[in-house]
Amino acid sequence: MGRRFAFRIFVTFTFLFLVAPIISVAVSSVSGGAIFVFPPSAFTLKWYSQIPLSYLQALKVSLEVGAGATAIAVIVGVPAGLALVRGHLPGSRTLSAVCLMPLMVPSLVIGVAALQFTNVIFDEFHLSLVETVFGLTLAHSAFTIPFVVRAVIAGQVQLNGDLENAAMNLGARPMRVFVTVTLPMLGPAVLSGAIAAFLISFDDVPIALFLGGGEVTTLPVRILNSIQFDLSPAILALSTLVAGSILILIALCGKVFGLDKVFGTVKS
Amino acid sequence: MGAMTEAVNDRKIFRRVLLSPVKRRWAYLLLPVLMVLLIVFILPMINLGLKSLHPYTGLGSEGSELTLNNYIAFLSQPFYWQLLGWTSILGVIVVACSLVFALPLSYFLARTKSRWKQFFLLLIIAPMLVSVVIRNLGWLPILGQNGLVNWIWLNADLGKEPLHLLDNYIGVVIGLVHALLPFMVLTLISVIQRIPPELEEASISLGVKPLGTFLRIVLPLARPGIIAGSLLVFTLTISAYTTPAVMGGGRVIVVSTYIQQQVSTLLNYPNGATVSMVLLALVVLLSIASLRLGKTEA
Repeated sequence: MGRRFAFRIFVTFTFLFLVAPIISVAVSSVSGGAIFVFPPSAFTLKWYSQIPLSYLQALKVSLEVGAGATAIAVIVGVPAGLALVRGHLPGSRTLSAVCLMPLMVPSLVIGVAALQFTNVIFDEFHLSLVETVFGLTLAHSAFTIPFVVRAVIAGQVQLNGDLENAAMNLGARPMRVFVTVTLPMLGPAVLSGAIAAFLISFDDVPIALFLGGGEVTTLPVRILNSIQFDLSPAILALSTLVAGSILILIALCGKVFGLDKVFGTVKS
Repeated sequence: MGAMTEAVNDRKIFRRVLLSPVKRRWAYLLLPVLMVLLIVFILPMINLGLKSLHPYTGLGSEGSELTLNNYIAFLSQPFYWQLLGWTSILGVIVVACSLVFALPLSYFLARTKSRWKQFFLLLIIAPMLVSVVIRNLGWLPILGQNGLVNWIWLNADLGKEPLHLLDNYIGVVIGLVHALLPFMVLTLISVIQRIPPELEEASISLGVKPLGTFLRIVLPLARPGIIAGSLLVFTLTISAYTTPAVMGGGRVIVVSTYIQQQVSTLLNYPNGATVSMVLLALVVLLSIASLRLGKTEA
């Protein structure tokens, strides 16, 4: 009995360990006393009204880059995922491997490669991509694409072909079958891939650190700078809002599409 | 007759190269993804590989001749071996700590019949999805000089001095174990769920205590998952940049923080590229090993 009790305590402790930093951000964001002193002395919401414009600017950059990199991934990744499964093309295994390859590469290495490649592009075409939202979006698409491709491939494996055959037997043309039957059934897979892609882009530090320079700062880089140089409770307030939004988004998607469907492809 | 088979063969080869019209249409759908990946991934990686073959000639510039000197310098200087050594030790410690926490937790989640199971799973997955810098930020009020842990430590009279849990290896280990524990748990749950519970019931009915049953029945059968999870967590540890940078407070030098320093601060692009290629080679080797093991075990 004692051992069983110890097991329960240990598992509970592990759960607490997992959620501790998120709760800690939220609690610290409403604490009025000196920063990072336990126990918190007073409740206040003043940090929420004092979020500096530069933090909101960084949030805007992050949202733009995340939306852009996700859009690129969906636009090129969904057709690719379909072709890789249904095309029965020669060498499709190799082609899948090429599409998923960036997942193997540490994002720091992708960042170094992207930074040095922007120098090449500048030398050859006089096109400056460094310190631009567009350049950062392109660099992020290197690892948002594989998430969408993988989700679409996985989604088709679970797909039931009977509905498509039925539609075809009833006289629908292939294009119509695709638009009215296949795409709606693939919806959850595409959505889960897109969410994973967006969150990965939104989470990235190394690539944004290299490519953003001083001009284009994403929220994670802004938080990193804040931790290193000018820690203020306002960053805790914004972080709480962001973390809360992410968790609500995930809970909603889990509710609508089922936890397994949304997260089946998130874990790498 | 011979001419005919030849013609058929020719057509087969022709089809192979040019694809049938239907297949060609499918192949067009792959063009956009390959074009984009070529520009944002494949060419930059080739360029990175080439960069590592040029000599460093001063801040942000490199010579035009091709040489293997950067790699020879990497292999011959003890500093780089120490760097790899420290990074690997960090990886091993993070793997060990993750296993200690993940094994009981995964066993609980795989076997529980609680109606809260979905909620528990959400608790595991949710922290993975919140930005890693935000999670690192959350550790500061807990681990700092005046934080929660030190408040308990000093008030419970466990020591006179506050513990140093940030800006050093301890902080990095805590941050990484937290960030990577879910990966270990998710890998282990799927393996433990496949072990028939009847085996444990049989063992217990034969008089073996639950702990003994776990060690002698569950642990050996979960071995493929333990190996796969450990390789994954090790690979993610040596690839991680953000957590070592934040929790180490710039004082912990591992391969990733060293690369960042070389590229951003010292503008030594050839050396940054060389160490990046070494890190990439390690990560790819580990991933291939993991895939191979997964195939033989399954």
